[in-house]
Amino acid sequence: MKNKRVKSTSLFLAVVLMAGALFGCSSNNGDGKGNTSSNNGGTTNSGNANKEVTLKVLHNWNGSTGSDVDMTAVEKVIKEKTGITIQWEYTKGSEVEKVNTIFATQDMPDIYTGPAWGGELDGIIKAAKEDQLVDLSDKLDKYPNLAKAIAEENVPPALYEKAFNAYGGKQFLLYQNHPATPEDAMDWLYGFYVRKDIAEKIGVDPQSVHTKDELYSFLKKIKDAGLSENGMPVIPLGGFHDGWAVGIANTMFYGSGYIDKGDGTLENSFFTKAYEDYTLYYRKLLAEGLLDPEAFTQTDPIANEKIKQGRIAVLAAHYPAILDASKDYVKAHPGSDYVPVGPLERAGAAADRPVDLGIQGNNVTVIPKKSKNVDAALRLLDYLASDEGFLLVRYGVQGVHWDMENGKPVAKKEWFDKFTEDTTGKLRKNEGISIGLESMSGQDRINSVGGGDIWADQERLAAMDNARKILRPNGISVISAYNAGDVIMKSDKWETLKPSMDKIGDVWKVAIFAKSDEAALKVINDLRGQMNKTGYQEAIQFTNENLKGKEVVLLQMPN
Amino acid sequence: MTQSVLWKRIWRHKLLYVFMLPGIIWFFLFSYVPLFGIQVAFRDFKFSGGFTGSPWAGWKYFEQFFSYYQSLDLIRNTIIISLMKLLIGFTMPILLAILLNEVRNVKFKKTVQTLSYLPYFVSWIVVVTLMQRILTPYGGPLNDFLSSLGMEPIQFLNNTTWFYQIIVGSDIWKNIGWNSIIYMAAIAGIDQQLYEAAKIDGAGRLRQMWHVTLPGIRNIAVILFILSVGSLMSAGYEQLLLLNGPATSAIGSVLDVHVISAGIGEGRLSYAAAVGLFQSIIALILIVTVNRIARKVSDVSLF
Repeated sequence: MKNKRVKSTSLFLAVVLMAGALFGCSSNNGDGKGNTSSNNGGTTNSGNANKEVTLKVLHNWNGSTGSDVDMTAVEKVIKEKTGITIQWEYTKGSEVEKVNTIFATQDMPDIYTGPAWGGELDGIIKAAKEDQLVDLSDKLDKYPNLAKAIAEENVPPALYEKAFNAYGGKQFLLYQNHPATPEDAMDWLYGFYVRKDIAEKIGVDPQSVHTKDELYSFLKKIKDAGLSENGMPVIPLGGFHDGWAVGIANTMFYGSGYIDKGDGTLENSFFTKAYEDYTLYYRKLLAEGLLDPEAFTQTDPIANEKIKQGRIAVLAAHYPAILDASKDYVKAHPGSDYVPVGPLERAGAAADRPVDLGIQGNNVTVIPKKSKNVDAALRLLDYLASDEGFLLVRYGVQGVHWDMENGKPVAKKEWFDKFTEDTTGKLRKNEGISIGLESMSGQDRINSVGGGDIWADQERLAAMDNARKILRPNGISVISAYNAGDVIMKSDKWETLKPSMDKIGDVWKVAIFAKSDEAALKVINDLRGQMNKTGYQEAIQFTNENLKGKEVVLLQMPN
Repeated sequence: MTQSVLWKRIWRHKLLYVFMLPGIIWFFLFSYVPLFGIQVAFRDFKFSGGFTGSPWAGWKYFEQFFSYYQSLDLIRNTIIISLMKLLIGFTMPILLAILLNEVRNVKFKKTVQTLSYLPYFVSWIVVVTLMQRILTPYGGPLNDFLSSLGMEPIQFLNNTTWFYQIIVGSDIWKNIGWNSIIYMAAIAGIDQQLYEAAKIDGAGRLRQMWHVTLPGIRNIAVILFILSVGSLMSAGYEQLLLLNGPATSAIGSVLDVHVISAGIGEGRLSYAAAVGLFQSIIALILIVTVNRIARKVSDVSLF
C-alpha cells in the first residue's frame, strides 16, 4: 500500500515537472495583457472610442530605454486624454533583424515605430506590399494630424515615391519628425571633433586642418606626442559602436553615394578611383596606429568608457552624441571639451558652397494587421502628433514641468536644474520624456511650436552654435533633388543586386584591415565583380535612363 | 516480441517512460516539427504566404549561394575551424578525464572538476566580453603583463595571426569540463578487477592507462566522434559572430554566421534556409560515411 502511494506520488510529481517544463518553454509572456488578443483581425473598433485599452508599442531603436516607473507623468496624461496605456518594447540589438523577425514570426506589436531608412525601411515596405499592415487610406480623414504628417509636401520626394505612394493608392506608413518648417530642421553637425586640451598640447589649431593630408598630419602629431590617460595611451581617432561614424572623411574623396562620371551619367561611388583612395587612406590610418582598431567591433558602452576615461583625442560622429558621451569627463576636467576640426575640404564642392544636407524625418510608424485595436492605435498616434501631444512628449506636463508664458513654453527652474544635474538622463525618462514617445509625435515643431528646446542647457546650445559657425561658414542647403540610391531600387535587377550592395560597408571595413594596399584593392574588386554578376550594370543603366534630365544628388554630407 | 508483451513492459516501466517524455516531446517540437520548414528553401518566402502559401522557387536559392563569390571561402573557413575544434577539442576532454581519474586527492579532483565545468554555463557573450577586457592592448591585464616584461602590446583580437588560437583555445576552455563528464562516467564504469589484474601483471600507471582506461572508453569515444563529425559544417555561430571582425573576415567568415546574417539580418529567409539545408545534408552524409567507416574498422557504430 505504502509502495503504491510512493509510486502515485512519484508519478504525480513527474507529471507536474513535465507540465512545468512545457509551460516554461511556451512563448507566452505571461503578463496576460500583452499582444495576446488579436481577435478582430485588424478591423476597426469604432464603438470603443476612449475605452481603456493597453497597446504594445515596439520602439525599434537599438539601445533605446524607458523609465523605471510603472507609469510616468506624461503617460498618465496620455491615458487621461486617450484612455490608452502604453506597454513598451525596446529593441536591444539590430533594428533590421528585429523588423524581419517580427514579421517572419508574426509576433507583432500593436504599433511599430522605427528608422525611416536602410534595411529597417525596406522590411516595412516589404511588409506593406505583403499585406501585413493596416491600410490607413480610408481612415486618415478622421485623424488630421496624421494626415498632415504624410501629405506629399511633407515627405522628401524620393522617399514619398519609394515608401509612401507605392501601393496603388493604399497608405500604410506614417512619418515622424520631418521638420514642419525650415527653422525646425535639425543639423546634427557630423564631423571630426578634437579635445581642446590635446589640440593645445600638440600646438595645432583645429581650424587650420582642411585637407586630407592635414588631417593625417594632425592625427600623426597626436600619436607622436605619446599622450597617456590613466596610464593608457591616448588613441588619436575613435568612434562609437561598430565604427560609427569614423568613416565620414569619405566626403573629402567623393561627393555622394553616386557620382557623375563626367559624361552626365552616374556611377556608384564604390566603382570609382576616389573610393579606392578613400579606402587606402583609412588603411594607412589603421596601419600607422592613428585609428582605433577596436572601433569597428566595439559596443557603445566600451566606446563611452574610452571617452569617459579621456582616451580618445579625435572623435568622428554627430556633435550631440559627442557632447553627451564626453559630459562627465569635461565636468571633471574643465577645458577638455571636444571642438570641431576643420571645416574639411569636400570633394567636388566649391569653397563657398553651403553644406548640402538631407533633412528628413527619422521614424516610420505602422500598425500591423494583428494590432488588437486599430482605432485606439490611431487615436493615440493622432493625439501624440497634435501640438498638445508634441509639447507633452517633448517637454513634459504643462503646469508641472513647464508653463506657457506669452505663448511660449518656459521650463520650470526646479525641473531644469534637476534635469541638468542628472547626466544619466534617467530623471527625464522617469517623467516620460525621451522614452520613445518623441518618435511618434508627428512633424518636428521644436522651434516653430516649441520655441526651441527648453531643456537644452545653455552651454550645450553655445557649443552647438560655435560648431555650426565653424563647420557651416556658408550655411546649409537642404537637398531636394533625386537620389540615385532610391531609383536603382526600382530596377528589376534589385532583388539579386541588393545582397551584393548591402555588403559594401562590410567590405570596406575588411579592405582597410587588409595586409597591403594590393590586398585591400582586391577585396574591393572582388565585390565589384559580384555586383556586376548580380546585375549592377543593368541596374545603373536603368537608373541613368530614369534620371535623365532630372536634378540628381551629387553632393551630400552626413546628417 | 508480440505487441502485448511490449505494452506490458512499457507499462511496467511507466515511471521511467514518463521521465523520458519531456525529452521526447522536446525533440519532437524542436527537431522534428521544424523539418516542416525545410520547404522554405524551395519557396519565395512571403510574410503573407508563410511556409505553405509562398510560391515555389525551385533551386533558385541554392544557385544563388553557389554563385555567391564568397561561398567557397565560407565553406573552406567553416571546415578549417570545425576540423581544428574537432581534432583538438575532441581529444582534450579525454585527456582531462584520464588525468582526473589518476588524481587520488578527492577534494582536489572535485575542485578541478567543478572549475572545469563552470565555463560551459557562461554564455559566449560574457566570455567574449571578458576576452575583450583581458586581451585589449589598451590597458588589458595580459598586455600590461607583456609590457612589464618589456614586450610590445599585442592586438590579440581582430588579428589573423592570433585568430585560430583564440577561437580553438576559448572553445576548449569553455567546453572541456562539460565534454569530459561522459568520459569520466565511462571510466567509472570500468571493472576495477581489470586494473588489479594489470597491476599483478606489473603494469605501471601509464601502462594501466594505455591498456585498461583507453580501451574502456573507446566505444563511447568512437560514438562521440561520429556525432562530432556531423557538426563539421557548423563552426558555432555565437562564438564566430562575436569574435570574427573585419580584420579576420578572410579566415573567420563561416556558414553559420552567413545564414544568420542573410536570414535575420537581411530578411532573405529562403536563401538562409537553403544554405542551412545544404549544411545539414553535408552533415548527414558525413555522419553516415564516418559511421560506416567506424563500423568496418572498430565494430562500433551509431546505427
